[in-house]
Amino acid sequence: MSKTMRALITLVLLLAFGGTLFYALQGQRQEQVQQQEQKAIASATPLNGVIALDVEPFFKDPRVTKVLAANKLPVNVVRIGSREMAGKVVAGSTPDFLFPSGVVAANQIADAARKANVAATQSSPFFTPMVIASWEPIAKILVANGIAKPLSPKVYGVDMAKLTELMLKKKRWKDFKDAGGYDVSRSVLVSTTDVRRSNSAAMYLALTSHALNGDVVTDRATGQATALKLAELFKRQGYQENYVNGNFDDYVAIGIGKTPLAFIYENQLVSYALAKKGVAPDMVLLYPQPTIVNKVVFIATNERSKALADLLANNAELQGIAVEYGFRIADTQRFVNAVQATGLAVEPRVTQVVDPPAFEIMAEMIDTVAKEMTQ
Amino acid sequence: MIRRGFVAAAFAALALLGACGKKDEAPEAPKKDGWDSSAPAAPEFKVLATSDLRDLEPLAEMVAKATGVRLKFQFGGTMESTEAVLTGATPADAAWFANAKYLLSDTQGQSRVKLQEKIMLSPIAVGISESDAKRIGWADPAVASRLTWKDIAAAAKAGKLNYALSNPATSNQGFMALMGVVAATSGKTEALNAADVDRGAIADFLKGYKLPGDNSTYLSEQFILQQGTRVNAFINYESWLLSLNNSGKLREKLQLVYPYEGVSTADYPFMLLNDARRADYQKVAEYLKSEPAQLWLARQTLRRPIKPEFAAKVEDLLPKQGLQVELPFSPDRALADGLIAAYLNEFRTPIASTFVLDTSGSMQGGGRRQQLVQAIHYIAGADASLTGRIARLTNREKLWLQPFSEQPYGLVRFEVPAGAATARGVQVQADSEAKLATLAKVREFADGLQMTGGTALYDAVFVSLQHMLEEKQKNPRYQYSVVAFTDGENNKGRSLEQFKQDYAALPEDVKGIPVFLVLFGEANEKALKDLVATTGGRVFDARKTPLYSVFKDIRAYQ
Repeated sequence: MSKTMRALITLVLLLAFGGTLFYALQGQRQEQVQQQEQKAIASATPLNGVIALDVEPFFKDPRVTKVLAANKLPVNVVRIGSREMAGKVVAGSTPDFLFPSGVVAANQIADAARKANVAATQSSPFFTPMVIASWEPIAKILVANGIAKPLSPKVYGVDMAKLTELMLKKKRWKDFKDAGGYDVSRSVLVSTTDVRRSNSAAMYLALTSHALNGDVVTDRATGQATALKLAELFKRQGYQENYVNGNFDDYVAIGIGKTPLAFIYENQLVSYALAKKGVAPDMVLLYPQPTIVNKVVFIATNERSKALADLLANNAELQGIAVEYGFRIADTQRFVNAVQATGLAVEPRVTQVVDPPAFEIMAEMIDTVAKEMTQ
Repeated sequence: MIRRGFVAAAFAALALLGACGKKDEAPEAPKKDGWDSSAPAAPEFKVLATSDLRDLEPLAEMVAKATGVRLKFQFGGTMESTEAVLTGATPADAAWFANAKYLLSDTQGQSRVKLQEKIMLSPIAVGISESDAKRIGWADPAVASRLTWKDIAAAAKAGKLNYALSNPATSNQGFMALMGVVAATSGKTEALNAADVDRGAIADFLKGYKLPGDNSTYLSEQFILQQGTRVNAFINYESWLLSLNNSGKLREKLQLVYPYEGVSTADYPFMLLNDARRADYQKVAEYLKSEPAQLWLARQTLRRPIKPEFAAKVEDLLPKQGLQVELPFSPDRALADGLIAAYLNEFRTPIASTFVLDTSGSMQGGGRRQQLVQAIHYIAGADASLTGRIARLTNREKLWLQPFSEQPYGLVRFEVPAGAATARGVQVQADSEAKLATLAKVREFADGLQMTGGTALYDAVFVSLQHMLEEKQKNPRYQYSVVAFTDGENNKGRSLEQFKQDYAALPEDVKGIPVFLVLFGEANEKALKDLVATTGGRVFDARKTPLYSVFKDIRAYQ
């Protein structure tokens, strides 16, 4: 072996060792950085939040926990009723964030925050419209009688004014034209959960009050009178489930015989379809026209929770996970694509939307209905 | 050196990666084996369940294996269990009812229930012996699928349908059957109230009520014995009727009719009562809704899975469900209370029974006499609670008290007068003066009981049966039974063998008079079971349960 060759080999070996050393040291450095990073992540103080049931599965998802931790924004959440949240707004001991279901509760919290002089920033990282889960034969009857119209295959728009009117007139299914698919003597009624205990039923009250009044109820007297008229839509249902998924469970498990029309959050059926990778072939969605969009409103009360709000709204992975739980996000196409794969048909863009009445009026209307129901 | 450093760094990185990898996975709950004696035994998870769930006791072992939580069931009637949860009297960690709507339409009840999950489904159906279904003209599926509770009431009135059903005052099946008749005949489809009750239709329906009882196991046994002679139909959950059809014990199979627009589906909510056991509850609930548990429930008990994807896997086991329109459940308490009160005091076949009371010397000690007196006071008392109203003597009821020691002696008769008839609807009525006076006399009699002498149990039961038989021949429009209570071995009069011989010589009609025996003190359990195997009826154990509570249970069978 020539000297040159030997020198070359030595050089190569040295280079190789040098490189190894370099990478090893760099690896160590990276490791140190990573360890420091891990430490910083582990030592980040969790943000305390109170959340609505709707977003509980989202926060329980280990992938969400991981993303939040990686961004040094771990959370410690407690699920409470949306309408109880305003009571948690106390100067000095307000949670870092509140995540109620619906703008009514959010406005109530904002109001409490104003009174308590607590800074509160609202944002809505995801949302879901209120829909009526139903069945193809039922939808066909409603179409034949001019109450609903097909929007696309297995998606219908339902005229809330007409539907409310005929429910109040105690129309029976078998009295409809072409009622062959459901010629039963039961009255037409949309089933809801217990209005005294659940937000979705309150949204139904808001929606039917708009239908009856022709516009959003803005004064107490009208609210009172409207609620009195609408109370029977709840009372006549008989026993109502008083846990949030009760009505939806009946729709899925017992079906058309118990629940021809179920008032639900769209994300309940969408997340079901995504989890089961499909729905029964005759399950359809009716979109009330107009409907209410239930925004899960994130209320931040300090800078760190504001950063969490930004993360929830802008982190692609978190937004994707929200879609898995059936929520709509700013990127409509992403939502539509995800749902399409399940065979459940949804209305891509919900355009006819109204707001619920202000929370004081809403609360009075709920009380009025509750009182009627116990009589 | 350098190499080692590199390797060490690489290992460190690997270790870090490994740690990360583990962190990514959801931490798996350690699998504890509930039956492993080396592990410290976790406290049992007590479940208060309605008695129709008795057939899923074997599930406890599967739950323990899968979750480490050891379930301990306690069974009771729907109303009794509802009351125990409402009042907070139960120490149970969770409740599991066929139907919890009575409980959950009450705000107090709602506050007791911390979490709930529906586990499975079974609609209430009318099972009719196939030959009778043909005779009535109900065999054609097109006809059967349109039958309403109104048709069923009409067939009962015409004597074509004689059915077994658990007590409407204590059980969900019984109560919902009455509600089905109320709804079908009221002309209303929702928001029923007490004034909507068509009294005639209820009376018609109850004409066919020939085999009462308080739990599905007892009723199934009796139905097997009496099918084709005294009864030809059984109203119960689909799961029990299908299980009977599969048991091979029936004289002929039952055709199931799901009343049109009147189906009431049990949804079996599993409810957390004790918040301290939330984690265990969640494990159990999750397991109960998992595929292995759901498929076991469907295959072994023929209840329908709550999740459609599992239902699809067992659809060959269960009848195809056409359109089964549910009967809305009315949360109106005035209707429920009024209907139950009217059932007990006006509509039901009135009770005529003899209480055979052991007054032998041994009853003097250990507070036994006091327990007996207390129990009689209870049924002749004023307890208006959900369970108390079952135990109380009802309007039109005939009661004989037959004390015995060396021999039966001093038979006394009481009759509770009928209440004022209501023209329309149902409502809970206040007790009349005459009723209160009768109840006071019953209590007075109990107070005067003297305990002395031997135990001539079989003589006392025999003369009481003879006596009930005579009364039945004079007045068949009562529901006859003998309730006998003893605290010791028979040592006077007839032996069990002689009793059986003499019983065999009685007219066939005596078969319709069950004997309910209460086991107390040193009574001979085997002999008492032998006796009811001859006469029909049931043995109730009062050795660990207070006597008054056992009397209350018996009332639901009368």
